[in-house]
Amino acid sequence: MTARGANSGELIAAAATAQGKGAIGIVRLSGTGAAALAKRLLDRPPRPGRVNRRRFLAADGGVIDEGLVLAFRAPRSFTGEDMLELHGHGGTAVLQALLARCIELGARLAEPGEFALRAFGNGKIDLTQAEGIADLINATSARAARLAAASMGGALRAALDGLGAELLAARGQLEAAIDFGEDVDFGGKHQRRLRADLKRLSARAAALLAECRRAAACQEGASIALVGRPNAGKSSLLNALAGRDAAIVDGRPGTTRDVVTATVEIDGVAATVYDTAGLRDGGSKVEREGMRRARRRQEEADVVVLVQDVRDERPAAAAHDVLALNKIDLLPQRPRAGGKKVPVAAKTGAGLPALRRALARALGRGGGDEPAFLARARHVRALEEAAAALAAAAAGGELVAAAEELRRAQERLGTITGAVGVEDLLGEIFARFCIGK
Amino acid sequence: MLVVGGGHAGVEAAAAAARLGLPVLLATHSLDSIGQMSCNPAIGGIGKSHLVREIDALDGVMAKAADRAGIHYRILNTRKGPAVRATRAQADRSLYRTAVRQLVEAEPLIELVQDEVEELVVKNNKVAGARLKAAGLVSCAALVLTAGTFLAGVMHTGKSSAAGGRAGHAPATRLAACLRELNLPVGRLKTGTPPRLDGRSIDYGRLESQPTARPLPSFCLLGPPPRRPRQVACHLTATNERSHAIVRRHLKDSPVYSGAISGAGPRYCPSIEDKVTRFADRDAHRIFLEPEGLHTAEVYPNGISTALPAAAQEALVRSIAGLEEARLTRLGYAVEYDYYDPRALDPSLAVRQIEGLYFAGQINGTTGYEEAAAQGLVAGANAALRLAGREAWVPGRAESYLGVLVDDLTAQGVTEPYRMFTSRAEHRLSLREDNADLRLTAQGAELGLVSEERRDAALRHQEEVEAEMARLAKVTVPAAGSRPPQPALKWLARPQARYGRLPGRAKLSRRAAAEIEARCKYGPLIERQRHSLQRERELEDLILPADLDFAGVHGLSNEAREKLRLHRPATLGQAARLSGLTPAAVSLLRLHLDRRRRA
Repeated sequence: MTARGANSGELIAAAATAQGKGAIGIVRLSGTGAAALAKRLLDRPPRPGRVNRRRFLAADGGVIDEGLVLAFRAPRSFTGEDMLELHGHGGTAVLQALLARCIELGARLAEPGEFALRAFGNGKIDLTQAEGIADLINATSARAARLAAASMGGALRAALDGLGAELLAARGQLEAAIDFGEDVDFGGKHQRRLRADLKRLSARAAALLAECRRAAACQEGASIALVGRPNAGKSSLLNALAGRDAAIVDGRPGTTRDVVTATVEIDGVAATVYDTAGLRDGGSKVEREGMRRARRRQEEADVVVLVQDVRDERPAAAAHDVLALNKIDLLPQRPRAGGKKVPVAAKTGAGLPALRRALARALGRGGGDEPAFLARARHVRALEEAAAALAAAAAGGELVAAAEELRRAQERLGTITGAVGVEDLLGEIFARFCIGK
Repeated sequence: MLVVGGGHAGVEAAAAAARLGLPVLLATHSLDSIGQMSCNPAIGGIGKSHLVREIDALDGVMAKAADRAGIHYRILNTRKGPAVRATRAQADRSLYRTAVRQLVEAEPLIELVQDEVEELVVKNNKVAGARLKAAGLVSCAALVLTAGTFLAGVMHTGKSSAAGGRAGHAPATRLAACLRELNLPVGRLKTGTPPRLDGRSIDYGRLESQPTARPLPSFCLLGPPPRRPRQVACHLTATNERSHAIVRRHLKDSPVYSGAISGAGPRYCPSIEDKVTRFADRDAHRIFLEPEGLHTAEVYPNGISTALPAAAQEALVRSIAGLEEARLTRLGYAVEYDYYDPRALDPSLAVRQIEGLYFAGQINGTTGYEEAAAQGLVAGANAALRLAGREAWVPGRAESYLGVLVDDLTAQGVTEPYRMFTSRAEHRLSLREDNADLRLTAQGAELGLVSEERRDAALRHQEEVEAEMARLAKVTVPAAGSRPPQPALKWLARPQARYGRLPGRAKLSRRAAAEIEARCKYGPLIERQRHSLQRERELEDLILPADLDFAGVHGLSNEAREKLRLHRPATLGQAARLSGLTPAAVSLLRLHLDRRRRA
């Protein structure tokens, strides 16, 4: 068997373009025997690496369609197997006939996602890239699509691999110090260097975590809570941001009892804005329940906007990221912005662009550049745990406890892309140390 | 039951079977070399002393023999955490041999015979017996083969080579040929030893001396023997640039580099040829000068295993500080031998395709006395259990290094001589050398492997620990100044805390105090680890049905399919540990199983 055949599964086929009338319809094939099938399906065999114009033939030699053929040789293809792409005309009947002919010639219909699954099984892509593909297909904003494409291209994988390699090296040092304590010199100088390495590693993980959090906000959508005293104009502000009447507005305090939401795009990111019940002492049972929900929403939100009547001179009613001083249309002069303060008038729309900018800044928490990839909540969770373990390892203590933290960090990172076995670890040890016994 | 071989594996196998009440015949080519230490005269070390203590917790031979022969002890990794603390002893070779022989002969069910086993008799894929050179056909229903490095062994020094499993001993060539006919997967490995020196010619005055550890440690958990051998010091020296230049000049004459040896050698115990080539940037390599015994002047220079020609070995030795005038008493050599891919064994170390046949020790591709002895115990006990019609005993990875060893070997196989490391054990924090009895003795008692004395001692230890833990859970320790008192268990969890300094401590044995310290210190970490190893446990529980068609698992590469078809792992956990099977493949398998279950 050739090396090429070694990684191929049975031949699968599927229509790669959506059903219905279109200019072009594509049938995609992957697996053992793709080349043999091409020979029987086409008037002449295709040349890999070229765009081939060919006729697609039926069993009786009649022409089903005519189009372009791309042939890929394993392992240099998406799935890592021999692949064929048949670009025909986009009608339902002709595409079905082409697919049926492929089945007749020995291919079987692919299961959903089977091409990507094969790419994963053959190590062509890792989990983050597979997720990138899915996210790209589902992306609804230009920015999310850009970041998903980067993830698909392996940007997150590369960042994680870089961190993983450094982690493996540190584990190698640490494990060698434990298992070869007798033979390898591990004096003060080595210990200090190891501690410094662990600190650097921990910082690097923290930075990647921050970037992942920003990236995840692009993917999952950020959440913004509007809180404040009753009748500060929270619901009016929600409607102004959403550009529609999502919430009921009334001059009486305590109109909003439950949490009302609207989706708003802030700087290319879809954010959910939550309008909450006004906070005050007393109120009816229903209103008090509304306030309880408001507080919970406030705790869970990425950004908390405190809405306060600009004429209200009492101290801020709650902790916040942005302070919207509402109802400036009622003042003779517009107050100055500064710090977290943004003067707005929900009723007239004055100051709304400035509020949007402030929200965008607050969503990009801690500043930093635009993330280089798209991340999911599970990436953030795993990275959080890995970063916590690395911080614990860097904090000092017994070597064997630090080693346990590193093992956990590596295991958590492994869940994002794919794990490493203990033999890899030993390999890492011996690349670096001379072992005496 | 027949045990072939009288090395560390053979002895433990025979002794374990005898403890389980089975009469055993142990056949070896030389009765005088029962319990022979063919490489360096040391027992224990990091990861290895854990195995010695586990063997002891199951009433094996090795720990008791080592304590009767130990002439120098060291405690290693003293400051890296109790889980990786280890004991190592230099043993007097002849005392060790004597101790092993005595312990074996104290077992009335073991019969010893000096004879060469030339052939295994296998009928219908079932062991029927063995043909011995002098005694002829001996029938048996179970056979443990512990042939060490004797299967088609070839020794090399410089350009000359000779057949043999150990200097002065002929190889088991006919047995090797017979085994090859059984069509089991076989490979070649190599290992080596350094030259030995005449201690009277060493200038110790210039070398760093290491005294034995005090208080004097012991391996046996029941305590040391009443009389201990006299303790001696070891000495340290190192190679230098001149030594390395000599090695480099003669590399072409070393069989390892001239191509005469094809087997893979251990990365962990490399020859000086390997060290000089692979770690070219190091200007010195440490050498431990280990005394061979109390009544011999011979010294084992640990760290310069070599197969260079005689003249080069002498030049190399004399380039080293303190050894300028040293005389060589024996030459170093490399030995190349057959090993059988342990993936052909099940986790009880039984050969899958031949009923009643067990392999243990270096034949399975391991290196080290401790690894060999540990396998001997597992194989011998299982052979006996089988003959008694009882269920096989497979120690688990979570409870012992024994479990790590047999699982690593039978699931992953070896690519070089396998040595135990603490980093191989994912449950390392719970597997300390000083809690081996708490982990294993009760299990051993259930199997019938341990004496009443040992079972009771372990029980008493456990009760002492648990009673004190229960008391501590209710006690607080006054804090300095106005701070509130701290729970005693929390006080003990601090990194520097010692039970001996606990205010209001009870009068405990040293071992109980150490156990309590470790439990307090590691408790939270172990708890968290148990949680994070949840996935591994889940994989362990996912059975791969016998009728599972790997061709139907979507996305799996053909390479992964081939591996799975060949080794047919019983659970997804075993599959995950197959070497060469990627985590991606495991995920795909799991996905498939989930779908199948739902369907």
